[in-house]
Amino acid sequence: MQAAPNLSRWQRVFVGIALYGCAVAIGLGSAWWVLKKAPWMMQTIQVGAWKGNLLAGSADADLYTRAAIALNALLAMGREETMYFIASRDDAGNPLRSHCSYRVEGVPPKARWWSITVYADDMFLFDAPNKHYSLNGTTARLDANGRFLFTTGGEEQPGTHWLPTPGNRGMVLTLRLYNPEPDLQAAPASLSPPTITASGVCT
Amino acid sequence: MKRFSDHQRLWFYRALTLMTTAILVHLAAVWAAPRLIMQVLMHSPMAKEMNMQNKAAFPPPVTAASRTVVMPSPDLLYSVCVFDVSTGPVRISANPNLKSYWSVALYASNSDNFFVINDRKSGDKPVDIWLVSPGGSPDARAIPDGAQVVVSPSQTGFLLMRVLTGDYEAEKHIIEPARRTLTCTPS
Repeated sequence: MQAAPNLSRWQRVFVGIALYGCAVAIGLGSAWWVLKKAPWMMQTIQVGAWKGNLLAGSADADLYTRAAIALNALLAMGREETMYFIASRDDAGNPLRSHCSYRVEGVPPKARWWSITVYADDMFLFDAPNKHYSLNGTTARLDANGRFLFTTGGEEQPGTHWLPTPGNRGMVLTLRLYNPEPDLQAAPASLSPPTITASGVCT
Repeated sequence: MKRFSDHQRLWFYRALTLMTTAILVHLAAVWAAPRLIMQVLMHSPMAKEMNMQNKAAFPPPVTAASRTVVMPSPDLLYSVCVFDVSTGPVRISANPNLKSYWSVALYASNSDNFFVINDRKSGDKPVDIWLVSPGGSPDARAIPDGAQVVVSPSQTGFLLMRVLTGDYEAEKHIIEPARRTLTCTPS
């Protein structure tokens, strides 16, 4: 068996500092990864492409949920007041990219008021030249079947409500339901999720 | 049974120390993150510039330039206040008198939403809340009998008033005066 090498005092101090440095880096890095890059770990429900955490804003939130919400959706409210669903992929499972075009269609959710907003992957709004950042219960125009439609992407799709997403980066869609109806609060999986389909080619 | 050498034992303890430290740092970081984020929010340059310590402030409508809080809603007009109940109760009042959705939400220093009232819950009556500290604020005698008292889980926190606006330019003559009825004043 190999004997322990005789390290000088300064060498031992250096090894100790290096080890603690590594430990701190691993601890901080893993916390960042879990909270920022793996928010699905905190999700409690998925409906279609949409994921939600029903403990957002709640005092019952666990350590990880509270931290992830603070980092990704600070100042959220509890689900009696507002329910939040976030989509970072389309219905085919592909990550949403701002240089691609998408059609988002659905029926108005069972809530007093609703909105779907498009954000860049830093969770802030795109610099939309037409100042259109969302579709909501006021601006949505329903077709004969009671469905809404909007598009996102770098180029306008004629005849649709267009939310510009300039650049080439990741993006997310956030569905907010204000004062959701009691049956939807009780069974969030009963949400009719808006569909997100890629249309055309990525510019 | 084969005994471990001193060298092997040394590295075993070093690995154990590294793993334990990493786990503790990880948990501490996750615990501290919402508290640090709230501190940054409450002491941000915008908070100082708008002088919102125990005072209502009225940021402009959300645009792509709004980068203080993640996921700002472009469909809401926000009003804010950083409250501090350590030296006494803080009185919060608002009378938006709007037919559309509005709410006043209170957040503790760990980011928990511990209280919310909206137009439906208020029953079209003005909001009039006395916010006190967890241990009971000094000067609580200032609170009138029958007043609505809310206990804040932390000495400091954040108030966020949301007023729905589907079309700000068309509605601003109504909603701007409505949101400016918000007050947030120490007793």
